[in-house]
Amino acid sequence: MISHRQGNAQRISALDERAEALHLKRDMGIADARAMHPSIDIVEADPEADRRLLEGLADWCDRYTPLVALDGADGLFLDVTGCTHLFGGERAMLDDILSRFFHQGFDVRAGLAPTPGAAWAAARFCGDRIVDGGEEEALLAPLPLAALRIAPETRASLESVGLRTAGAVMAAPRAPLARRFGATLLLRLDQALGRLDEAVSPRLPVAPLSVERHLAEPVTLTEDIERLVGLLATTLKGDLERRGEGARTLALLLFRVDGAVSRIALGTSRPMRDPRLIQKLFHERLAALEQDIDAGYGFDLVRLSVLAAAAFDMAQADLTGEVTDDGADIALFADRIRARLGEGAVLQPVTVESHLPERAVAIIPFSEAPRRTTPPKRPDRVQAPKTIFPPERPIRLFRAPEPIEVPATEMPEGPPLNFRWRRALYRVTRAEGPERIAAEWWREASSDAAASTRDYFRIEDADGRRYWLYRQGLYGNSQTAPRWFMHGVFA
Amino acid sequence: MAISAVARETVFALRRQIAKIEGTLPERLQAPAGAPLDADGGDADLTIVRRGLAAALPDAFLPIGLERLDAALSGGLPKAALSEIHGLETRDAGAVAGFALSLTSLILKRAQGLPVLWIGTTEIFREAGFPYARGLQACFGIEPEQLLFSEAPKLVDALWVAEEAARMTALAAVILEIRGNPQRLDLTATRRLHARAQSAGRPVFLLRQAAEPEPTAAPVRLIVASAPAVPRATVAGPLAGSIGRPAFTISIGKSRTALPGQFTLEWNPDERVFDERRGEERRTDRTKNPVPVVSLSGGRKDPAAASGAVLAFPALGSSGAISPTTGDQPPPGQRPAHLSPRRAG
Repeated sequence: MISHRQGNAQRISALDERAEALHLKRDMGIADARAMHPSIDIVEADPEADRRLLEGLADWCDRYTPLVALDGADGLFLDVTGCTHLFGGERAMLDDILSRFFHQGFDVRAGLAPTPGAAWAAARFCGDRIVDGGEEEALLAPLPLAALRIAPETRASLESVGLRTAGAVMAAPRAPLARRFGATLLLRLDQALGRLDEAVSPRLPVAPLSVERHLAEPVTLTEDIERLVGLLATTLKGDLERRGEGARTLALLLFRVDGAVSRIALGTSRPMRDPRLIQKLFHERLAALEQDIDAGYGFDLVRLSVLAAAAFDMAQADLTGEVTDDGADIALFADRIRARLGEGAVLQPVTVESHLPERAVAIIPFSEAPRRTTPPKRPDRVQAPKTIFPPERPIRLFRAPEPIEVPATEMPEGPPLNFRWRRALYRVTRAEGPERIAAEWWREASSDAAASTRDYFRIEDADGRRYWLYRQGLYGNSQTAPRWFMHGVFA
Repeated sequence: MAISAVARETVFALRRQIAKIEGTLPERLQAPAGAPLDADGGDADLTIVRRGLAAALPDAFLPIGLERLDAALSGGLPKAALSEIHGLETRDAGAVAGFALSLTSLILKRAQGLPVLWIGTTEIFREAGFPYARGLQACFGIEPEQLLFSEAPKLVDALWVAEEAARMTALAAVILEIRGNPQRLDLTATRRLHARAQSAGRPVFLLRQAAEPEPTAAPVRLIVASAPAVPRATVAGPLAGSIGRPAFTISIGKSRTALPGQFTLEWNPDERVFDERRGEERRTDRTKNPVPVVSLSGGRKDPAAASGAVLAFPALGSSGAISPTTGDQPPPGQRPAHLSPRRAG
């Protein structure tokens, strides 16, 4: 029995058959229930866990159709349009769903109808019923008002005027109904009867291409999965060739016998359709995920989907049949590293037009596609003159500038005489600077301009190491004292 | 006394065979006095190969461009090999990285446009700073498009990436940066890296910050420290107090010829070549630090030797503002709570 807190009292929110046999009911107070049967077992409700379970089931239902939507806290919509023939018809599919759920230990009610509303009513009030087109009205007429998916207040006011079944509402004139009970009632009625379309929004985006293989005997070994990926990728290749595309994002879905679904996604640097390479990438990914994937009793359905595709250019081989493309090697190398170590494992720098040193270079995940980070230069605009001597920049930059202690400077605006960085004292022998770099006022309007102005110095210490320090803030100009930071090192 | 020619021939043949099995690089002797050593290594006639090994390919070595250093390394740094570049402390990371990048820059002169992969653990990038593409472009002429970075949280992953990268011919050079002496990076791991670099014909630079020398498969180990730069040269002579081109102090920790030596090199970012430091008077020897490492103990027994490297703080000189006693005091915020003035009420 599961309890939940409603108002100020613990009440029963769900209970099993044996509890029902004890004449306990939903919404009964826990104190009353305990008074009747002191030995009942009460568990606190956990809506989050229920939600996770439902989402897990929705993942598993992906095997029937890619369009799966959640319905409230306890229901799933499956749009099986065009999918039933794959399972041998509507009846066979419904039986398959019910029997698989039964074997997983779930008590499921299912209904199949041309409209979501009718299917909802069939599942909740008839159970295991298939409604053909045109039968919706006959299905709904004898059902209570709750079958229309309307708010409890509307239902109560409808019942107070004597309309107790859906059939009675259907027979009543529409205009007064709409006037008195709002448009939602008629909307729900029309949706259930198929007069209005109702869209079921799927949880996950539908993959443009996917291939799958049902297995009579579940597989558990990673090598078998890899081989299956190779076979599926071979099938996929034909489809991709017909579309003139290559895969940019691939997802492998492994449906375990007991209902758990593993989803393994990976991206590629350039469009790809070679089954051998796809298999290689999944080999790395599976090797990295070996601990996380629990094969359990085995997977009985393996699906390979292309989540994103891009135009694929054919490469002309020379007469010896060899294509020499170093870029392809690098792209494949980067993909393999990323498949195993994650998206951020291979990075590339991109220069950005900014005078702030830490913003002047952006580090982004490696990609083949050229990215334009600065707008194209217009020829009629006046260009800033290029300096002959570019400013000296360090070869290594700390991710976050590290605060240093500067006890004394020769002049207030000058370089430090010595400084303490990482608990070691450094004596400055030579210094160059300052190079003043102001904050980007067009980005941070609120901050004080003088306080965020930096004066950079190139420093050489007694051992000949060269550092890049800066003082943030100006002396005597703001309330807070200027602070010193270590920002980078030179060669 | 002389062994017969036949016997010597047999010995040479056996040595050749051993060298072939081991895959060692042929070694060179110093060119005879008077004969200028070709800095480009293109002239194979001058090469005298020790112990009768087959003459080296002129392309097998990367000449650093410094006669004495190239001679001590028997022609330069091997191009298709693992090379260790050590820094004694983490704060030398700038010099170590700078030297490796200048070698990469020399390689990129020949192999135009190929990318360079820099692999490092998260630890080293946090401790020593992430490579900054603007600086690399200005100082070593490596374009941002040519740079690839790989950051791995664990050393195992970084080693795996390095092994995968070392066999790629599409990369100009691979730089693997590691801190300290981890167990994982043993003789076997370096041998794997070296073998792959040999078969791909590409250099792998193993940068080791704050590491002790230990046996590895790399044929060459260089220990790099930064050297004070000379002032900038202007039309009116050197500009006093300015910091000029980057300079490094290189000592050979290990090489085929086992010739020791210490060299001061200066990197010329404009020409992208090394120059030998001419102003010898500016060279400072860090081993001859005038400051005592540990103060003498008065009246008591010597304390136990400190574990690890003991750093010497240089003399504070004339600046009396920070005496050692006040420097050791924690700031007021870090004092123990019971010593801080209690707030009334």
